Amino acid sequence: MPGVSLVALLLIAAFSARPAAADVPRLGGKPNLNGIWQAMNSANWNLEAHSAQKIDSQWELGALFPIPAGKSVVVGGKIPYLPEALKVRDKLRAEWPNSDPETFCYLPGIPRATYMPYPFQIIQGDRDILMVYSYATANRTIFMKDHQDPPIDSWMGRSNGHWEGDTLVVETTGFNGRARLDRAGNHFSPALKVVERFTMENANVIRYEATLEDPQTYSRPWTIRMPLYKHVEENAELLELKCVPFAEELLYKDLELPAKK
Amino acid sequence: MLVARSNPHFFSLFLSAIACAPVWLFAQEASRAPGGETTRWEHEVPVIHSGEWNGPRLTDGQPDVQGFWSNTIANHNNWTDPQGGEPGDTRSRPRKHRAPSRVIDPPDGQVPFQPWARALQQEFAAHLYNPVKPQYIEPLARCAPGGVPKSFIWHGYEIRQYPGYVLFLFDSGTRIIHLDGKPHLPANIKLWNADSRGHWEGNTLVVDVTSNNAKARFGRSGEFASENVHITERFIFSEDGERYNYVATFTDPTVYTRPWTAIIPARRRGVGEPPDGWHFSGELANAPGQPPFFEHYERICVENNGAFGQVAAPAQHASSSGARP
Repeated sequence: MPGVSLVALLLIAAFSARPAAADVPRLGGKPNLNGIWQAMNSANWNLEAHSAQKIDSQWELGALFPIPAGKSVVVGGKIPYLPEALKVRDKLRAEWPNSDPETFCYLPGIPRATYMPYPFQIIQGDRDILMVYSYATANRTIFMKDHQDPPIDSWMGRSNGHWEGDTLVVETTGFNGRARLDRAGNHFSPALKVVERFTMENANVIRYEATLEDPQTYSRPWTIRMPLYKHVEENAELLELKCVPFAEELLYKDLELPAKK
Repeated sequence: MLVARSNPHFFSLFLSAIACAPVWLFAQEASRAPGGETTRWEHEVPVIHSGEWNGPRLTDGQPDVQGFWSNTIANHNNWTDPQGGEPGDTRSRPRKHRAPSRVIDPPDGQVPFQPWARALQQEFAAHLYNPVKPQYIEPLARCAPGGVPKSFIWHGYEIRQYPGYVLFLFDSGTRIIHLDGKPHLPANIKLWNADSRGHWEGNTLVVDVTSNNAKARFGRSGEFASENVHITERFIFSEDGERYNYVATFTDPTVYTRPWTAIIPARRRGVGEPPDGWHFSGELANAPGQPPFFEHYERICVENNGAFGQVAAPAQHASSSGARP
């Protein structure tokens, strides 16, 4: 029915164009994103909808470390993989955790860094906006002035940002393609371009969107959407999760000297 | 997507991750020893007095000291004899031709260890290349953070400033100095990069450091602190903004017989200097028509680490990255 479609379109248009709340804190006229933020979902387990599960290999831990259920954070529900890329996803999923760089405390890439189950801090300056992640104490510079093409492929890519009204828009390219999107094998190629939009709903909630475009992996661009919540506790502070030492046995077990008999 | 091309950037990223491997280090140092002077081989600590700051300021009033920096005397091989090489190195120049100890108080240049701690430090030093127990393995060799103070004598690093913050972007992680006066973390939280509260006094950034997990060592020579260590750091910047001295006092009755103080001179790196993958790992940004500026593409370590394994078991090194993605 055309009428219904029109209403839907108008609603979408209204949602997209909705200005940020007037009462958000500001810095130099722009929304002040400074603070410690965190996603509150299980997207890092699987961007798409998933049931609660146990991790078979971790049976000794009982109910301590299950995979919690989660609704899809993908607009439309499914990631539009090309057929070959879907096979790769299934293979990576079957080979988890060894197929996942997170297992080894490698850099998480973009957009995964944003919805890992740990806090991250946004530090907003004039020339750039720095994001510092609890995970691996990684950081990411969003260049607000010195825009340029990525000089080299890297785990986190190069992020160029600008303001569209009250929305921080960040375009990231130059990925080495080695990071993943979650623990369920969702992946991308070095051709990935991510466009993120950070919009403050109010002082304590950011509406976060990331559109992923990668013609080598997906049949069309697709979008992740989720809220990010501010840590409002008194004296909130980013605590490091320096995870390399936790992965030492995995990384270096074969270097151990033989046990004395 | 960028095609993988042959350019110096790849080399610099790679080198920054494996530069600790002894083979590389020997090669680097041999080429820069006397005759090929570089910053690393300065012999003296410049005198910089605390005082007024008349240089540029940021909008929040902080002295603007942003940029790429590195220490000017050797590296992390040896804490008290910086240019003496790592434990067991016999190729050094005579002591009188080397830079003085980083320890300026006590005057003998030695860390005033309690006897048990001195014995442990010597044990660490003796087992650097023969880590027959897991505790002998130098944590940085496995890409754990350099922590405080070692990060200041490892690779070059970047200082960024934002309203209320000074940040150090090290190759082994990010250290945040909070200038907002919030209270320290509770003492039972310990961090590799510790908990830092700072304020500016003229040209000097004064930082109070607690909650150090003390797992990082100060150098390959094995000096260390305990989790109870309290460090007061003073970053004293020169009038022209090109240098600073890091002056840190370490108080830890668990390990030392008295508080002691060390100094690490540092110099700004930038225009006109070729990146060398160690002291200066920034790259000239490709920004035609703009004043030249530098950026560091990515700070990685464990993602490329492999050669460190040679320290523990050279013959097995080849297999050490087999299972990784």
